[in-house]
Amino acid sequence: MNKRVFVAVLAAASLVAAATASAGVQKAQANKLTVWLQVDAQTGWPDLVAAANQQFQKDHPGWTVDVQYQNWSDHLQKFDATLAGGNAPDVIEMGNTEMTKYMAAGAFAPLNKSLFDNSANWLSGLAKSGMYGGKTYGVPYYAGSRVATYRTDLFTKVGIKNPPTSMTQLIADAKKLAAAQKSNKGFSPVYFGGEDWYVAMAFVYDYGGAIARTHAGKWYGALDSPQAIKGLTAYKNFFLATSKASKTNDSTNPNPYDVYAQGKAGVIVGPSWYTCCVGAKFKSTTGQFVLPSHIKGKPLPGFLGGSDLAVPLTGNVAMGSDWIKDFTDTQSERGLQAKGNIPNATNLLGASINEQAAARSWFVPSAKHWVDVENGNILKNMLGQILTGKLTVKQAATDASDNITSVLNEA
Amino acid sequence: MAAAAGAHPLRRRRPVTRARLIRVSSPYVLILPVVAAVGAVLGYPLYNLARLSFQHYGLFELIRHHGESVGWHNFGSVLHDGVFWHTLERTVVFTAANVGLTMVLGTACALLLVRVSRWARLLLTSGLVLVWATPAVVAVQIWTWMTNYENGVVNYALTQLHAGNYEQHDWYATTFSQLAMVTTLIVWGAIPFVAISVYAALSQVPRDLEEAAVVDGARAWQVFRDVTLPILRPVLLILTSLSIIWDFGVFTQPFLLIGPGHIEPGNYLMGTYLYEEGYAKTDFGRGAAISILMLVIVAVLSVVYVRRMVKLGDVE
Amino acid sequence: MRRATWNTVAVALFVVMVFPVFWMVSTAFKRDGDIVSYTPTWLPIHPTLSHFGAAIHRPFFWADVKNSVIIVTVTVAISIALAFLAAVALAKYRFGGRKLFIVLMIGIQMLPQAGLIIPLYVVLARYHEVNALTGVIVTYMTFALPFCVWTLRGFLINIPKELEEAAMVDGNTRLGAFVKILLPLAAPGLVATSVFTFITSWNEYIFARVLLNDQAKQTLTVWLSAFLGSGRNTDWGGLMAGSTLTAIPVLVFFLLVQRRIAFGLTAGAVKG
Repeated sequence: MNKRVFVAVLAAASLVAAATASAGVQKAQANKLTVWLQVDAQTGWPDLVAAANQQFQKDHPGWTVDVQYQNWSDHLQKFDATLAGGNAPDVIEMGNTEMTKYMAAGAFAPLNKSLFDNSANWLSGLAKSGMYGGKTYGVPYYAGSRVATYRTDLFTKVGIKNPPTSMTQLIADAKKLAAAQKSNKGFSPVYFGGEDWYVAMAFVYDYGGAIARTHAGKWYGALDSPQAIKGLTAYKNFFLATSKASKTNDSTNPNPYDVYAQGKAGVIVGPSWYTCCVGAKFKSTTGQFVLPSHIKGKPLPGFLGGSDLAVPLTGNVAMGSDWIKDFTDTQSERGLQAKGNIPNATNLLGASINEQAAARSWFVPSAKHWVDVENGNILKNMLGQILTGKLTVKQAATDASDNITSVLNEA
Repeated sequence: MAAAAGAHPLRRRRPVTRARLIRVSSPYVLILPVVAAVGAVLGYPLYNLARLSFQHYGLFELIRHHGESVGWHNFGSVLHDGVFWHTLERTVVFTAANVGLTMVLGTACALLLVRVSRWARLLLTSGLVLVWATPAVVAVQIWTWMTNYENGVVNYALTQLHAGNYEQHDWYATTFSQLAMVTTLIVWGAIPFVAISVYAALSQVPRDLEEAAVVDGARAWQVFRDVTLPILRPVLLILTSLSIIWDFGVFTQPFLLIGPGHIEPGNYLMGTYLYEEGYAKTDFGRGAAISILMLVIVAVLSVVYVRRMVKLGDVE
Repeated sequence: MRRATWNTVAVALFVVMVFPVFWMVSTAFKRDGDIVSYTPTWLPIHPTLSHFGAAIHRPFFWADVKNSVIIVTVTVAISIALAFLAAVALAKYRFGGRKLFIVLMIGIQMLPQAGLIIPLYVVLARYHEVNALTGVIVTYMTFALPFCVWTLRGFLINIPKELEEAAMVDGNTRLGAFVKILLPLAAPGLVATSVFTFITSWNEYIFARVLLNDQAKQTLTVWLSAFLGSGRNTDWGGLMAGSTLTAIPVLVFFLLVQRRIAFGLTAGAVKG
């Protein structure tokens, strides 16, 4: 018994020693730049990150770059903790919808716009997300719009030669597809969840409406305006006519591309990288087109999702700026473009479907409390009520509008 | 003999003093490491939490490490919020259901373990440990999958078994259904710990005592009530009190299973309510106030069990 | 009731309880096409090891395994040892402040942990224990100790005084009697508590995520979350393979200690 106890104690002691040893080595190095990027960069374009690091280290000998990859689900919580603890990173990637709240709280250091490549031509939707009070806090990194991914073979089978150029035509095409696929149980001509507000709001903006407008420092929910209601009604008709997906689901559960891969969807709506996951069976018969507006020949305004790069107030502004410059220079942006993303400046835009869709775009209100509207699921709940018929479009839109007004104007 | 007896009391006096010193200080020495470890780490955070609850402390204040005092405002605003009271009511019912199911099913499982052959015992215990070992995050993914309204196994199996038409049945359409799914997930994950702990406690029940009772003519449930239960009581009390505490404040399972995009005041539980009202809105002062209120409430809910646990130790 | 009936019930229960885990493990072996198929494939007809290979070859897998093992083993060892001593004090001694200590042990467990993340982070940052394994160990211990003390006390209460007194007559000091007699008798409780602490620490996510920055220092649960982290498609096969791998050490640990929860250890110890 004594021998065993002795051995156990010895083992425990050595483990403690191992733990402390690995802890002791990490005392802060003076010339280290800490960068937080999302895992998308790690899996999507690690070569671009490496190139930026190399450039930075060449310009600043003696410096090392420590890139730490974060998850979208909890990176803000981590960020809050580091802000409280005083050891925030030097550079952080933020979603463009996440920026406003943190800029308003003074989390970032103002940056000198002219230091960055192509800054005069930054995409307005992205650039706006990084500005507050006239100063620049975030550098646009990359963007993505929404496109339609479709089964070219199914379209050819029902005699559709070209992708639709107006909403009416799209609905007509969808009806043709449904008729041809009657025996395919659960087939949805266009598959998108009823509460996919990115699609729904595109209709609102298409008809000239908006989610919210600002006037004299206050925000007003604008979904109850006649234009917005027209848009929402058009969306309701579009959904009921073309989608067999759940009325109360959004775009993540199940994933549209999984449904597509099962052969249960003719068209899916989402980011352009959906083509990655359409399954081996349909890879060769998949194409993309720009979602059409109700106005013939124009694209439906696409939500410009994207990321900005910012320097927290406690970070090294000079070095951080320089790294961001290296990571968003023309060469790097071309690299991002090659991977299917939308680069950050209009002079770099190409002709891919993704980029064409960005010609007409919409963005969320740049209000300090916008994030609370998203977290409160106000838009999703409104769509659910409209589609299930629980409330009329006007009722649901008015409720949501009032809700939005109160949330955005919270102290 | 007499001399030896007489010499005894005299010889005992000096060792008694030293032994007494050791005896009196022993318990304090024994609990010192725990008190020191816990105090050193939690002392300041607890003080901080209390202080935060009386301050207005949002993102702006977090960055400047300085909040402004608002007295009881945070508490007042929470207690005047209808959502808080509805959530509390919902959570109490939810906790009662979860704890009840966990304890009953877990104890039944432990009693089963006692009665089976060695191989069956090993099989079942290993199965229970596998369940226990599954991280909550992964279990949620599995559940999401199995109950997926398009291609979930549950819908498929129920339809095949002719239990009704469950094709494309959305298990998350109503609040009751959502919370029922969360309950199955939580109870599933909680049964192993209860089963194994109760089984461990059962192994402390002297077999001969049970056998004697049977010989005396007692029926199975009488043996259980009069012999086994009293010995199991401390462990059952511990498990119940812990289950109440955990299920009342549970966060991960409801948050991930219902989905961050579908959490709304209609299906809030105290755990998700705290997260949404405190941390998602970065209103840390409010979050601290809610944390303290939760602490008080759960203390009240479990006081009966805790009291009994504390009293049980009063052996001497 | 016949033993055979009970055995059947046990097997049925096993199947029901383990089904989700079985689903996870079988998915880990399925090809991607079979995973998202509408008709569920119960057993992988064309099993593949590619997901496991991909998981193991993900950067920092082995480093994170090492970190998890170190953190959890140290946490469990120290927590059980210290908690056992404190539990002995609570169960067998009478001393001033005893009730306060007990209430503290259960009170700490009533705190919603979400509320403590940031204050704890600030404290640890001050002592440079952020991004360090020791910081995580200390955090885990802080939450494990009250639970272990509370639970172990319950197991110790049942052990009758006569045994201790018998040991003391044998010439042991009171403390020695405790260690010699209580320890083996408390073994089932120690096992249940240590398995629980092991599992809770092994699967803990939020504190490990917030406290550890370097991927070389992270734990397996954080490593696992990277499968879900990207906004893009989730690698289901990889996630399930990773989860299966993560569950193995727990099972191994349990199998090693489960022999101690056995009948016969205390049978015959109490006689009249």
